[in-house]
Amino acid sequence: MIIEILQQMLNGLAIGSVYTVIALGLTVVFGILGIAHFAHGSVAMSGGYLTFFFGERLGIGFFPAMALAMVVGAVIGLLIERLAYRPVRDAPHINAFIIALGLTMMVEGINLLAFGADQVVIQTPYRGVFNVGGVAVAELRVLVIVTACTLIGTVALLISRTKTGKSIRAVAQNRPAAVLMGVNVNRVSAIVFSVSSALGAAAGALVGALLAIAPGVGEGLAVKGFAVLILGGLGSIPGAIVGGLVLGVSESLAAGFISSAYKDVIAFMVMIVVLLFRPEGLLGKR
Amino acid sequence: MNPRTARAMGMTALVLAALTLPLWVTLPYFQHLIILALIWVVLAQGQNLIQGFTGYVSIAQAGFMGIGAYGSTLLSVKLGWPIWLTMVAAPLVTAALAVLAGYPSLRVKGHYFAIVTLAYNMVIFIVLMTWSSLTGGEAGISNVPRPPSVAIGGFVWDLAGRVGYYYLTLIAAALATLLCALILHSRVGRVLLAIRQNEALIEAAGVQAWRYKLFAFVISASLAGLAGALYAHFIGFLNPDAFGVDHSLNAILAVILGGSGTLSGPVVGAFAVVFLPEYLRVAENYRLVIYGFILVAATIFMPRGLVPLVAQGIRALAARVKRERR
Amino acid sequence: MKKFAKSLVASLAVATTALACLSAGAAEKELLVGVNDSLTGPGAVYGLPQANAVQMAADEINAAGGIKAGRDVYKLRVIANDDKANPTEATNSVRKLIDRDGVKYLLGFCCSGPTSAVASFIERENALMLVGNAAERAITAKGIPNLFRTRPPADFTGAAAGVFVGKRGAKNIAVIGSLDVGFYTQYLEAFEREFVKAGGKIVAKETFGLKDRDMTPQLTKVRALNPDALLVLGYVEPSAFVYRQATELGMKIPRYGFTSGSEEQFLRVATSEQMEGVWDLRPTELTVEALADNAKTYVANYTKRFGTPPSPSSPYAYDQVYVLKQAIERAGSADDPKKVTAEVRKVTVPKEAVMKYLPVGGTMFDVNGQAYTSNGAFQWQKGKWVYVSDLPSDPAMYSEFLRSLRK
Repeated sequence: MIIEILQQMLNGLAIGSVYTVIALGLTVVFGILGIAHFAHGSVAMSGGYLTFFFGERLGIGFFPAMALAMVVGAVIGLLIERLAYRPVRDAPHINAFIIALGLTMMVEGINLLAFGADQVVIQTPYRGVFNVGGVAVAELRVLVIVTACTLIGTVALLISRTKTGKSIRAVAQNRPAAVLMGVNVNRVSAIVFSVSSALGAAAGALVGALLAIAPGVGEGLAVKGFAVLILGGLGSIPGAIVGGLVLGVSESLAAGFISSAYKDVIAFMVMIVVLLFRPEGLLGKR
Repeated sequence: MNPRTARAMGMTALVLAALTLPLWVTLPYFQHLIILALIWVVLAQGQNLIQGFTGYVSIAQAGFMGIGAYGSTLLSVKLGWPIWLTMVAAPLVTAALAVLAGYPSLRVKGHYFAIVTLAYNMVIFIVLMTWSSLTGGEAGISNVPRPPSVAIGGFVWDLAGRVGYYYLTLIAAALATLLCALILHSRVGRVLLAIRQNEALIEAAGVQAWRYKLFAFVISASLAGLAGALYAHFIGFLNPDAFGVDHSLNAILAVILGGSGTLSGPVVGAFAVVFLPEYLRVAENYRLVIYGFILVAATIFMPRGLVPLVAQGIRALAARVKRERR
Repeated sequence: MKKFAKSLVASLAVATTALACLSAGAAEKELLVGVNDSLTGPGAVYGLPQANAVQMAADEINAAGGIKAGRDVYKLRVIANDDKANPTEATNSVRKLIDRDGVKYLLGFCCSGPTSAVASFIERENALMLVGNAAERAITAKGIPNLFRTRPPADFTGAAAGVFVGKRGAKNIAVIGSLDVGFYTQYLEAFEREFVKAGGKIVAKETFGLKDRDMTPQLTKVRALNPDALLVLGYVEPSAFVYRQATELGMKIPRYGFTSGSEEQFLRVATSEQMEGVWDLRPTELTVEALADNAKTYVANYTKRFGTPPSPSSPYAYDQVYVLKQAIERAGSADDPKKVTAEVRKVTVPKEAVMKYLPVGGTMFDVNGQAYTSNGAFQWQKGKWVYVSDLPSDPAMYSEFLRSLRK
């Protein structure tokens, strides 16, 4: 029994760490720029497809392919910021949201055209399975968790220790004041979006290696990402970390002990309940 | 000719065309599409109420349509209720669910609300797919019956045929539009528009905005429920895929494209959303990209939608003609 | 003389025209064949190969001169529509084929959801429907006069599989599958009946959706129960994930499945080592050692033309085309689907057919419109599906059972 619980938790940690990476990409954009960047899920998918194709066509390993996909992801982020969101920066919020929806359709559509409708599974050479006291620890899952931690750590450091990070935090706290202090909001916006999309691309690569990339997966990831955001508190990086892991593990436990069919419903129920009773999130400030 | 006369003549022509449609559109395939478009008019008018008038983007409209569709179907197929009754019950059931769903979620603002409605749609979809003992799951429910014929005086209205059903959906679309028109021109409508403009201001003036938002949300969902019932008994076959999130996105597109906050906008948008895939069939793969692009471009360049833009264009043209006449 | 020449030329002209008209009456006609299949989406692993197979068969027939019926020669033209494994799409697609394109002969139909949707209204249409890979029993249990199926229902194979697994010594078996889908439940019911007779017990029944990819929670649960074997009932892609995740969880028990997936389809998701030893208990479909020369030719031609080997169940559609050809030849014309339908009832197994059919009552299709193939046990050995043995089954008895289901 205890082994079963531990196994389910370990399974959940791997997918949970991917949720965290997605949520991180969302929270930097939402917390700093106030945009509910719904297309993030589709951008993640692009990252996954790209990783697969770089791996196949260029014959490079998984991690180099992922890194390359992240670079492309950053460029995509720049384009999205400049062409789609900047024109409506000062318009009512609803416009930015509708643009997010339109972007979702566009990126999904481009993915469909470029990569086809079939699912894509990124094969990796990491197929080892270790037995730790009855719990099966798959090499791939451990690598996913480690990669996610590295990415999260890097971004956290970027925001808290660098000068760029300082400007980002300034814009998040008070945009007009930041402008007055000489912060280039356009530059901050561009950087935030590139970082966010690079993270998204990485998450897509990880999902592709763990499971698969296919049309429709992006939407689900985006919604779960927002669920984590709401759970952990908007704009809070520790919140995204805790929220992602909690969501991943509770999904796995619920699927194992209650019902696997309604697994996805857990995420949504959690989100709705948290929104109703503690809208600032478990770790957010009131 | 002054604009009012022109408009009245245009409206009359449109009404005549609609009433006599089966005479001059005889290809069954196009009749099929027009009926679907009218069903979407009902859906889009609902979407417009919450999105266009009140400024709250709901991504649950297709989910509510599903509730209405399955509601009406299960009541008639499993409990044997007469279809005219289930078609009335469907919007009511959907409304009840919307009250439950809306009450907590309308307390939060714009972005959150949209995301929560998205979650609602996904929950509805998953439940429809998974609770197969009730809904048939992925395989769905087949042989959903058409409404029985109605005898009015000596005239028999055959609702089993396409022509008969066309008039049913025409009436429904007209009633939906009328309902939204009544709301728009009432005090409630003015409050909703004010909420869209500046919710904080109207709350400061002492208005309990959430009541009005809930009202709009519930009416919008009931229209979706009605559309669902009409859809189920028309297509004859029900399956959760018709009520997924991508269809909710289509409803949003219909409203944006046609014109947020106008009454004719949703009509134009609904027809566009139903007919475009048929004409873009050659470029089926490009459809998503095109839709998305339209949504983005429309929001950036013509945030008020197609109908106001066209109306503006016509007015400008009329003004130019008038000037030249003098 | 001039006048005579003129009238000679004139009469020659008239004669030639008359002759041309006469042969035009017995000239080449185009026969539209509609294929409705899942070309994209979760069913594409079954539907796309089927659609390809139909096209290939049509081209073969055209190259050999077309279908000669009565005085006419028909050249086949295939219109393939994608139903995305979605019942609503399938209904729209078939409506379009019949109403807009005027198609009278519908082939393909790989997946039960969309096929059942079409089956629910096809009786009212002036058309003939030939079903392929879709395994739902109800499709032929209703006695629809213009519907025939080349693939046997799932429970026909399930019973045989239950006997086989029982004989191999497993006593406790855990089942994981898309158990919300009718035909998997039917396979399982028949399997359970025979397995229990052999002294076995089913210790768990876990579900997953047709599009699910992460089955580790269910597998973890099953692992804790210590079963002797695992029975997996799902489409190719989810089953592949189950096989892969079972090894990732350290499970070493025998794994039995019912997918009809090709090697290539599985290798996209799992590695050959992860698949090693997996069983597929299904109709004796296309695995070269199991079938005869037709099969070898079919595989070679398909691979050459489409760049990838055919899936094991694609011949169900290939054979449909040759069934249609035989029926049209017997009917003498392709104009009346009702006449052709009557002939399909009496058709014998075409000589070009790839699958090994077991005729019931002398004809390929029984009174229910159902054809039967033998069942076989296949095992993944070093990257290939290897035919291990036959799964004995009784089509005549099953045919009666199927007939008895009609209310």
